[in-house]
Amino acid sequence: MKHIVAWLIVTATVGVTFATSAQAYDGDWKRGRVYFRQVCTSCHLSTSGKTISPADRVKADWSAYLKADKHDVKGKTNHSVKYYSSREYRKSIVGANKAAEKYLDVPDAELQADIMAFVLYGAKDSDNPSRCQ
Amino acid sequence: MNNRRGCRFGATIIGIWLTVLGLLFSGAALAVSKTTTADHSKFKELQKTFASGPEVTKACLACHTEAAKQVHRTKHWTWEFLNPDSSQRLGKKNVINNFCISVASNYAFCTACHVGYGWKDDNFDFKSEANVDCLVCHDTTGKYRKLPGLAGHPAYKEMELPPGSGKIVKPVDLTQVAQKIGKTSRDTCGGCHFFSGGGDGVKHGDLDSSLTVPDHELDVHMDAAGLDFTCGTCHLTSAHDIPGSRYVPTAKDTEGRHLRGKVSKGNPATCVACHSDRPHSLKEARLNDHARKVACQTCHIPTIARGGVATKMIWDWSTSGKMDEKGKPIVKKDEKGHVIYDSKKGDFVLGENVEPEYQWFNGKVRFTLITDKVDKSAGVTPINRFDGSPDDGKSLIWPVKVFRGKQPFDPVNNTLVKPHTAGQDTTAYWTNFGWDKAITVGMASAKAPYSGKYDFIETEMRWPITHMVAPKDKALACIECHRADGRLKNIAGIYMPGRDSHGWLDLLGGGAAFFALLGVIGHGSLRIFSNRKGGK
Repeated sequence: MKHIVAWLIVTATVGVTFATSAQAYDGDWKRGRVYFRQVCTSCHLSTSGKTISPADRVKADWSAYLKADKHDVKGKTNHSVKYYSSREYRKSIVGANKAAEKYLDVPDAELQADIMAFVLYGAKDSDNPSRCQ
Repeated sequence: MNNRRGCRFGATIIGIWLTVLGLLFSGAALAVSKTTTADHSKFKELQKTFASGPEVTKACLACHTEAAKQVHRTKHWTWEFLNPDSSQRLGKKNVINNFCISVASNYAFCTACHVGYGWKDDNFDFKSEANVDCLVCHDTTGKYRKLPGLAGHPAYKEMELPPGSGKIVKPVDLTQVAQKIGKTSRDTCGGCHFFSGGGDGVKHGDLDSSLTVPDHELDVHMDAAGLDFTCGTCHLTSAHDIPGSRYVPTAKDTEGRHLRGKVSKGNPATCVACHSDRPHSLKEARLNDHARKVACQTCHIPTIARGGVATKMIWDWSTSGKMDEKGKPIVKKDEKGHVIYDSKKGDFVLGENVEPEYQWFNGKVRFTLITDKVDKSAGVTPINRFDGSPDDGKSLIWPVKVFRGKQPFDPVNNTLVKPHTAGQDTTAYWTNFGWDKAITVGMASAKAPYSGKYDFIETEMRWPITHMVAPKDKALACIECHRADGRLKNIAGIYMPGRDSHGWLDLLGGGAAFFALLGVIGHGSLRIFSNRKGGK
């Protein structure tokens, strides 16, 4: 039985890894920029009066932040970073936000990769430190 | 044994199924809208390490055989333009402005915005196809950057720029950029046009980096979550020739709306090219009447520099050169972080949400060139003049950014001068702060006479406003112009109700309105009275 489970895991892992790595989506930084500026920034401005610029953090910080997926450690808002790029969230603000509406049908993973591509593109230690404007 | 084989077979099937799921998932993630029919990363010509920009261009030209020849015919390449109306030889190569003044002797610095490689002095080879820079307009990675001082080249190796600054610039991965080329975008055009004049939003006022991701309020056409126009949507390019010129602008488009299937010689970048010259609905016929005398931009671009990026309004070169107590150059900033004084450049005044000025404009522009005489005692010297009048049938009332300043001139020859500003040599003003040396070298480069004396003269330069189109509910209201101190207070040659008044005309109009009202009341009263009487 152990052999079978191990075989199953190996086959599936190899298959999925092959599939995803062979056709890896490396993120559209321009689409990530639109979403970041017109969804993330506008929400941050209206709720806290502050913007968070890609140039506020270095690439490693952004990677760690997105990987940890902790948006609000105090728990006042949704805890997950991914939630704010999810289709569920986009759907909830359609009508109030044109960018969310424009990208409503984009798969979650793809939009998350876009946002990741933009924050890394515009991080403090990048060649193009970007403001949130 | 067989049982074990069977289980292994079953597990393999499940594994394959998961693999298919994985493929489906990743396939969905790949559903990116492509705007190109070619994946350049698959081209063998581009699968190599490039040591320089010209090497990439040679690879591009292997397939796009005519592209460089087309670029060679454009102003983006020649930086020269012969105005057919005035016979003035214009273009960046020849004109003077009141920002950084002139490219003569500053080529290596200024040609960071040339669509070519290697223009560092008068000996640049304008016939070289390999020197055309394809990447600067077709980069999609946002990582391709040409640097001031490198004569239009990007960094090919790690370098400190400016020298001695401690700022390290990494080399551009030319292979990655070349393999991901695509259509032009607001980013590629904006790389130069948003940052012209030495910084973000400095020159135009209606073009700055806020237009890379504009919202509806900032520009209804370029709204990134809406219509998402690129520059090329309006500046519809043919054979690399981009329509839309500040030397011979189309002030009044008489060609009408461009229709598919109909030959049009008009400028596709005008408002009329899409909206026609009667763009409003029948209910707003009065506004269509206005379109005969007023440019669309006048009402629909209420202010410039609206996206949070300030634009320069005044540049006073005469105050440059001040140093701190240690003899070091000074930079002063305002509370918003805008530079308002720089020892290299003098004093600046910047503005956001700036109301344009307005004037009659028929599309004819005349520049003050280095060969033209100027007169300090005659008042402000126009760097350029916009022709126009209410009577010529060719003019509309246009919004313009008027950029004012003081710049060096030769008080003996009575000409404007072209100083050598940028560079690490002993004559560059930004390095050595000596006007005389800088002007001597600059004028020699321009092959123009310099008396050896300099002074400063007040100048102003006009820029037609045509970007940052606001939503229609933010267009100017009637009262903005139809009042005594309204926006068009300086527009001469027309009678504007609300702004202008004549005693007899006002009396006549008021009297006519009064008697009309009296007539209506009288007539109405009689009808009511006669109706009641008849009813009895």
